[in-house]
Order: sequence, then structure tokens, then C-alpha cells
Amino acid sequence: MTTITPTATHPSQGGVDGLNQRGRLTFGGVLRSEWIKLRSLRSTVWSYLIVIAISLGMALLMSLSMVGMSSGEEIDGGPLPFEQTHELVMQASTFGVYFGQLVVGVLGVLVISGEYSTGMIRSTLTAVPKRLPALAAKGVVLFVATFVVGMLANLGAYLTSSIVFGTELEFFDANTLLTLAGGALYLALVAVFALGVGAMLRSSAGGIATVLGILLLLPIVLQLIPADWAHDAAPYLLPNAGMTMFMGIGADESTIVGPNAWQSLLIVLAWVGVSLAGAAVLLKRRDA
Amino acid sequence: MITATALTKRYGAKTAVNDITFTVRPGQVTGFLGPNGAGKSTTMRMIVGLDRPTSGTVAVGGKPFAASRAPLHEVGALLDAKAVHTGRTAENHLLAMAATHGIGKRRVREVIELTGLESVARKRVGGFSLGMGQRLGIAAAMLGDPSTLILDEPVNGLDPEGVLWVRQFVRHLAGEGRTVFLSSHLMSEMSQTADHLIVLGRGEIIADAPVADIIEGGTRPRVRVRSPHASQLAELLAAPEVAVIRSEAGLLEVTGVEASGIGDLAAQHGLAIHELTPQNASLEEAYMALTAGVVEYRTEAVR
Repeated sequence: MTTITPTATHPSQGGVDGLNQRGRLTFGGVLRSEWIKLRSLRSTVWSYLIVIAISLGMALLMSLSMVGMSSGEEIDGGPLPFEQTHELVMQASTFGVYFGQLVVGVLGVLVISGEYSTGMIRSTLTAVPKRLPALAAKGVVLFVATFVVGMLANLGAYLTSSIVFGTELEFFDANTLLTLAGGALYLALVAVFALGVGAMLRSSAGGIATVLGILLLLPIVLQLIPADWAHDAAPYLLPNAGMTMFMGIGADESTIVGPNAWQSLLIVLAWVGVSLAGAAVLLKRRDA
Repeated sequence: MITATALTKRYGAKTAVNDITFTVRPGQVTGFLGPNGAGKSTTMRMIVGLDRPTSGTVAVGGKPFAASRAPLHEVGALLDAKAVHTGRTAENHLLAMAATHGIGKRRVREVIELTGLESVARKRVGGFSLGMGQRLGIAAAMLGDPSTLILDEPVNGLDPEGVLWVRQFVRHLAGEGRTVFLSSHLMSEMSQTADHLIVLGRGEIIADAPVADIIEGGTRPRVRVRSPHASQLAELLAAPEVAVIRSEAGLLEVTGVEASGIGDLAAQHGLAIHELTPQNASLEEAYMALTAGVVEYRTEAVR
């Protein structure tokens, strides 16, 4: 330990003469780095396990209670028509997203606020001094990982509720797939939105409070305001637009009031865009 | 090579670094010395682009650090012992840092061995002692085999063995022709490690010179005299260029006269002397002399 073995470092020609033949900073490298960071924290693993557990658990509970109700109806009116059953299956299999969004929201904040609270951000920004590639890579990695986990969770939930309802699986039905993927997409976008909030506030407590406030509290507060504008604004809130963007897929256009599924997707993207833009500007401008 | 030109950093009304210009040259260890709050860390953060200068510029190898195409190969920085996520293992931290530049697992293993972290590499950093955190920070700084090393208080929290190791290590790196810029408020450490010193006080450079010059220029030789006739001797010694301090009964600290002069004087007057010790000027004293007027947080003398 107390002796320096010259062989332990690279020959000095690399260190002093320049950077020939050696790695450079690339965006691909930063992506790999952020992927290592994401998967090497226990909070990530736990968050994603909880998302899957909630999804499956909620699907099971919902399906069991709905099957109970619909079998009651069977006595008067015969079995439910296929369309109605299908809708119930879809509701049950995406119900977990309501809760999953809270978990991935917290995870999104922690991905960056954890770096500020521990000082890791200084290591990150010394390795990537242009800064924005680090934020972008975090966003991409978080988005992809959350989408994949959300998709697995939703597929599992769909499988669970289909079994409980005793309906045939329709994995290749476009609307079924779009709804399940839409739910996963919403989870991934909430995570990235929260990443932006965390980067702006640089604090775990503040970031989590803000994200949960936007996801949970804001819709309730708006409902309590007895004014037309409050009622009109409701579909534009992040969680409301988020639910419409996957639950509204395949819905009859004539029955929809307010934005449809695709418009709601754009609204969610706008929330994410504003959050990331704010994060990018502040990250670039502030001292770390 | 690090070149700072008219570098200034203000936080609101407080000026942390005020218009400093200096060059840190390759092939030697440059010490960055100053009391707490002098602006050392701020300056180092500006070098690697973590803090943006209010005015002035700083370049590494002739260009701003952020413009580097391979920052980790350009500069290895230890700015904070625990600039590491506490929930991650040391090995994963290094792997993540290395991945940004496509640096392989082999190099990660090398820096782990180099810093003696083999036994704790798979443990989470949260449980690390300050010393292990320092070693991990040095490991991360060495990942890119950089041509410039910037180390902020690297021996902070290290045991004596670790301090010795860092000293030999940075000297070895400088010997390879690298630029080594090392901050500390421990003068004794600097005198044994650095070739050149930049002394900072209240955000301004008070000295920028080879270590030997600073030691010579900063203090005048001092002689310790113990005698039962201390007051008489002090009166005899009195002269405009001579300063005598009585630190305790029978003990004098004399500057401005050589030990031989004091001995002769005492002999002439038949005064007994029990001790006559020339005190070598230390970097510590030179430093105290340099920064006496510019200490940011001064402690009251103990009464």
C-alpha cells in the first residue's frame, strides 16, 4: 500500500502526451454510465418491483370484485356481452397505473436529487462538463427502463385479469396492446417529468412533494373550485390527461368530452417538455 | 498545465476569489495553500467548470475544461471526499464513471488495486470512513490516467500511512511529467510534498513561488534563550532591529540576533545561560507570517 508500483498506472505517455488511442466522452458512453447508475441503486430495484407488484395485485383485486358483481347481474340479464367484459378486463389490468405513477414519480425525482444530496452530481458533471448530455442520458435511461417495467407489469396484469374473468387473451388486438403500452408510456413519461422537477429543485423532499402534489392534490383542489374554468382545465392536468391517453384508446369519439387519447398524449408530452426544459436551463446556468 | 487569468468569483456581495492569475506547470507538485475560506475550493471548482467564474478565464491544457473531448483523460479531480452516491458500491461508482469515456473494467480494477480498495470495492460507499472515501475519490480521479490532477485536501481524514502514500503518489505522478495541483491548509504536509506554492488569502494570491523561497522569505531566524537572568539579558539585547518576546518566566524568543551574538553578550556580562537554541524557520511560520493579515475566520488567542 505505501509503495507506488509504476506498473499500476498506465505508462505515462498516455497521460501526458495526449489522448490518442484512448476513449473519448461519447453520448453512448454517458448512456451506459447512467444505466449502470440506475441499476446499481436499491431504490430503483425496489421501485420497479413495487410497480409490478401493485399492478398485478390491483388487477387481481379489481377483477375478483368485478367478477363477483357481474355474476350477480347474470341472474337477471344473462352473461355480460363480450364488449363490456373486455372493457372491465382492460380497466382492471391498467388500474395499477394510478398507483404506479406515484412510485415512478418518486423514483424520477430521486434519480437526480439523490446525486445532489450525496454530492455525486459533482462527479457526474466533472466527467460530463457540458452537463446537458448527462441530463439527456438520465432521461433516456429512465424512460426506457420505466417503459419496459410498466409494459411487463401491464401485460402481467392483463394476463391476471383475463384469467380471473375467464376471457380469451387478445395480445394481438391493436386496442388492447395500445392501451397496455399507453399505460406503460404514461408511467415512463411521469418518471421523466419527475426527473425534470428533481433537477430543478435539487432536493428529494421538495421534489417528491411537488410531484405528488401535481399527481394527487392538484386534481382534487381543482375539483373543489366551483368555477367553469376549473372544470374546463381539469382534463389538462398531468394525471387526468395521462389516464385519458391510454384509457381513451378505442373509445367512441362521439362520447368524448374534452381532449381525446391522442390529444391527451400531447398534453402529457407538454408537461414533460416544460419540466425538462426548465431543468436543462437551470442545470446549465447554476453552479453545481 | 492550468492557466487562470484574472479569475474572479462573487457570491452575491461576497467575493470568494478576487482577480487571481496563476499558472500550474507540469512536472512538479504545486501546492495550493490558504486558510479555510480563502477560496481554494472555489478556484478548483472553477477549473473543472462546476462553478462559473464571475469574470476571468481558466484553461486546462490551453482550453476551457468543458471544451475537452475527453475530460476524464484531461483532468482527474478529487474535489470532495464524498462526491459519490452513498447507496452505490465503490466498484459500481467507478464503473459508471468509467463508462462515460468507454474506459474498461480492467482499468477500474487497476485503480481499485492502486488505491488499496480491493476489500471494500463491493461495499456501499455510505459505510466508508473518510479515509476510504478519499481513496475512492483518488481512484476515480485516476480512472482516465489524466495528464492533470486536481486534488482538494486529499490527505484529509487519512491515517499516517495514507498520508505518506498520497505524498509518494503525487510526487510519483509529477515525476511522470503530469501537472499536479494539490490544496491543503496543512503547511507541514505541503513542505514535504510540494515543489511550488501558491498561497491564497481572502481570495487573493499572497505568494506564488518555490517552496524554498517562501520559507526563506517568510521568516527571520529566531533563537530560544533560557536563562535565570532573562530580564537583564532582554534589556541588554534591546536594539531597533531586535525583537524579544518573553513567553514564560526565564524564556526568551529572540529575533534579529544570531545565537552566537547572544552567547557572547551573556558571557561579557557574566550571565548564565541554560539554553540557546536557534529555531529553524518552518513553512508553518512562513505561512502564518504571510497570512497573518488575511485570515478569514480568526480564532481569539487563548488567554
